[in-house]
Amino acid sequence: MTAGNEHIGQAHRRGNALRHLAGRGRFVTDLALPRMLHAAFVRSPMARGRIAELDVSDAAAAPGVVRVFTAETLNKTCAPWTGTLEHFAGMKSAPQNILAEGAVLWAGHPVTMILAHSRAEAEDACELVLLDIEEEEAVVDGDAALLDGAAPASEGIDSNLCFRTVLETPGLDDAFASAAHVVEESFTFGRHTAVTLEPRAVIADFDPSTGQLTVHQGTQTPYQFQDVYARHFGLPESKVRVIAPDVGGSFGMKLHVYNEEMATVAASLTLGRPVRFVADRLESFVSDIHARDHRVTARMAVDAAGTILAMDVDDMTQIGAFSTYPRTSVAEGNQVIRLMGAPYRMPDYRGRLSVVFQNKVQTSQYRAVGHPIACAVTEALVDRAAEQLDLDPFEIRARNLVADDAYPHVSATGYQFEKLSHQTSLAKLRQLMDYDTLRSEQAELRRQGIYRGIGIAPFVEITNPGAAFYGVGGARISAQDGAVVRLTPGGDVQCAISVTEQGQGTETIIAQIVADQLGVTPDQVKVTTGDTDTTPSGGATWACRGAGIGGETALRAGRRLQAQILAIAGAVLQADPATLALAGGAVIDSGTGRERITLAEIGRIATYRPDTLPEGCDNSLSAVQHFAPTGYPFDFTNGIQASHVEVDIETGVTRLLKHWVVEDCGRIINPLLVDEQIRGGVVQGLGPAFFEECLYDDMGQMTNASLADYLVPMAGEMPDIEIAHVETPTLDTILGAKGVGEAGTAAAGAAAMNAVNDALRPLGARISQTPMTPLRILTALGHV
Amino acid sequence: MELEGSQTLAAAPDQVWAALFDRDVLAQAIPGCETLEQTSETSFSAMVKLKIGPVSARFKGDVELSDIDPGRSCTLSGKGSGGIAGFAKGAARVTLTPEGPQTVLDYTADVAVGGKLAALGNRLIKATAQKLTGEFFANFNTALTHEENAPAA
Repeated sequence: MTAGNEHIGQAHRRGNALRHLAGRGRFVTDLALPRMLHAAFVRSPMARGRIAELDVSDAAAAPGVVRVFTAETLNKTCAPWTGTLEHFAGMKSAPQNILAEGAVLWAGHPVTMILAHSRAEAEDACELVLLDIEEEEAVVDGDAALLDGAAPASEGIDSNLCFRTVLETPGLDDAFASAAHVVEESFTFGRHTAVTLEPRAVIADFDPSTGQLTVHQGTQTPYQFQDVYARHFGLPESKVRVIAPDVGGSFGMKLHVYNEEMATVAASLTLGRPVRFVADRLESFVSDIHARDHRVTARMAVDAAGTILAMDVDDMTQIGAFSTYPRTSVAEGNQVIRLMGAPYRMPDYRGRLSVVFQNKVQTSQYRAVGHPIACAVTEALVDRAAEQLDLDPFEIRARNLVADDAYPHVSATGYQFEKLSHQTSLAKLRQLMDYDTLRSEQAELRRQGIYRGIGIAPFVEITNPGAAFYGVGGARISAQDGAVVRLTPGGDVQCAISVTEQGQGTETIIAQIVADQLGVTPDQVKVTTGDTDTTPSGGATWACRGAGIGGETALRAGRRLQAQILAIAGAVLQADPATLALAGGAVIDSGTGRERITLAEIGRIATYRPDTLPEGCDNSLSAVQHFAPTGYPFDFTNGIQASHVEVDIETGVTRLLKHWVVEDCGRIINPLLVDEQIRGGVVQGLGPAFFEECLYDDMGQMTNASLADYLVPMAGEMPDIEIAHVETPTLDTILGAKGVGEAGTAAAGAAAMNAVNDALRPLGARISQTPMTPLRILTALGHV
Repeated sequence: MELEGSQTLAAAPDQVWAALFDRDVLAQAIPGCETLEQTSETSFSAMVKLKIGPVSARFKGDVELSDIDPGRSCTLSGKGSGGIAGFAKGAARVTLTPEGPQTVLDYTADVAVGGKLAALGNRLIKATAQKLTGEFFANFNTALTHEENAPAA
């Protein structure tokens, strides 16, 4: 008997939002443990150099200082880590350890760790460390890094090429040879970073009397860190507990292994007492992973009717001195070249990827990995092709988007699509934004010297990944998730699940799903996440899998418990369980809907009076279920975005007037949270399109590592975002949900770049670099 | 980061020239100078305390004079380490031109900073460098005038 869908599909508010508003957040920084020490790091001021002298004796004697660690004293506690995976054939990266040994490889590379009774004392002692570095020439530019004779960015590598791959269909050359038009452009996508409200924070607490290590860490992936700490510090997995309490934003940034977290664990293991590290904003800028940093040249072949024949793409991406661990810094570029042209029928393709080392902060997976780059390049070329053929942007897309009845479909790059709704979404967007009215208004305003632009960008998003992402490459990163659902003796429900919560509402949707399986309300379901000791092991939250995989896990666990409850009820009521169902907090007769026995009564009997149950009746009120995606390697979603902008051609300032999104994430569990995800995602796509950039000078120094100089998008600059939905559930799961967390970010920048270029078109100017700052727009206009 | 500027000093070029190599004058002129030692005829080592935006640090550095065309021009190059605050290095070409009883001193400097100093923004650093340069010449001018007026030792 299937339970109803009373709560799935409904807008429920996030329960934890109220707790946060009430000031009852429990972040790592809220935790104070007895005898806890505070860490600060002395970092390399140079991007590349050799440690000539390091004297920590004055720092060790400073007030409040308990211990000072250098590479010599700390690194030996930790097995080195190497950020390569086997399925990226031929990729390389030097092994890393906690503190810089001999060579410093980026400005910000930690050299010395100081532990004191307060962070202030630790910071003061940092000033007393004598660190003399012989400066060496830093590898700053990716193209220069690949030239013959370029010095390697780290030790133990013979060149700065981390990874290269080429995808090519056999018909590519013919497609270009036969094309009526070929459009071509070069793009630069700047580096940016996550800027989470809560910076990275960790407290490691090793108890020598039990051999137990407990790490409180603001992360998305507690199980991954349990595995990393166990393996790299030689501890039994059962002696490592990782707890992720409230996490103030993550976006992919908090699932990578960082030197500082490893140092904090190493220090606690060595000293046998709690050690805390919380990054300040400057440290975040020079140690949190950065994102993107691509240079792309691309061309597109189209026939005389505007049919897209092929794309030929070369992406060079710059990743810092090491590939990140354990997910690598190759995944982003790999997705860039595989997502090109993905919404279209385009039969032929060549994509070339070069991943390059340099002496800067590492880049790696960040919200919408690779998507914004592939989308911006594809959609800019589609707009250019439309321009050449004098076609409307909607018309050329209507001619090329895969038809909604043409699934399953395989892209030129090999991605398999189960079922998408590009054409329906395109038509829905046109109506939603009142396109024709906007175009006439645009023409009218141009006569008055006002330059408005409209840009659209269809997209696909990779969600619900199975083991194809990391597991097949040898990474110990779980593609499955697990849940334990139980009925309490009082008739309430608890669900402990491996997917985690960073403010997006995971716990809320899990409660909705479980509630519907057990006939209760979501507020009767207590959801526990983020603790490796109290929840089953699983992948947790990344790559848009919380709803699709975590939700399916919860659904199946809920159904398993439902069957157990009905079996007990059947025994108590002497009824066939098939004639019973759960609703309104009770077991009901499924035919008449009449209440037969409450869940509280089932809980009471099974717990306190199991002796009254018939012989052989299983009184278990807990059900455990794990779920790994099967079927398609990923459940792709699709959608389309539109941006309406006004460019002031005198100042180069762009005003964002409006943004629209039509999104198909399959079965919608909670429309309120889906729209929150899309809006937040759009803002995180518009930020790097217009504002956010980690600027470096030619010595490899980041020159805007503070929120005074690094511009994040502010509410006042953001447009209203109007959202509509199409629902095409995946048939791979019972729930039918796909991911939605990255959809907004995937195409917002692409739509915006097309909109800006639409505004600039009558002036003969184009921009193909992000962020599209006023200076770059004025440069494109030839004003500077 | 490039800086350039011009200062009119109330002394003749040879007096200015002598003062540029005079430890005592330099010690008075360099903002935040705590110690200054002449390590050779053309080099100095200094400890200077500076506050740049939110970063305050003691810089330990060396300055060397080269490409010397006596009385007319020279290049001052140096680098300083401010510990965890980062480092600064650079070179300045200084040219002296007589103008009546006074001297016009033109300089072009190329300055680079690293570590926290760079990270916290070139915006602050350029403004601070210009302010410090201004203070240096104001102090230098005062020292020159003072020396001129002081009784001969």
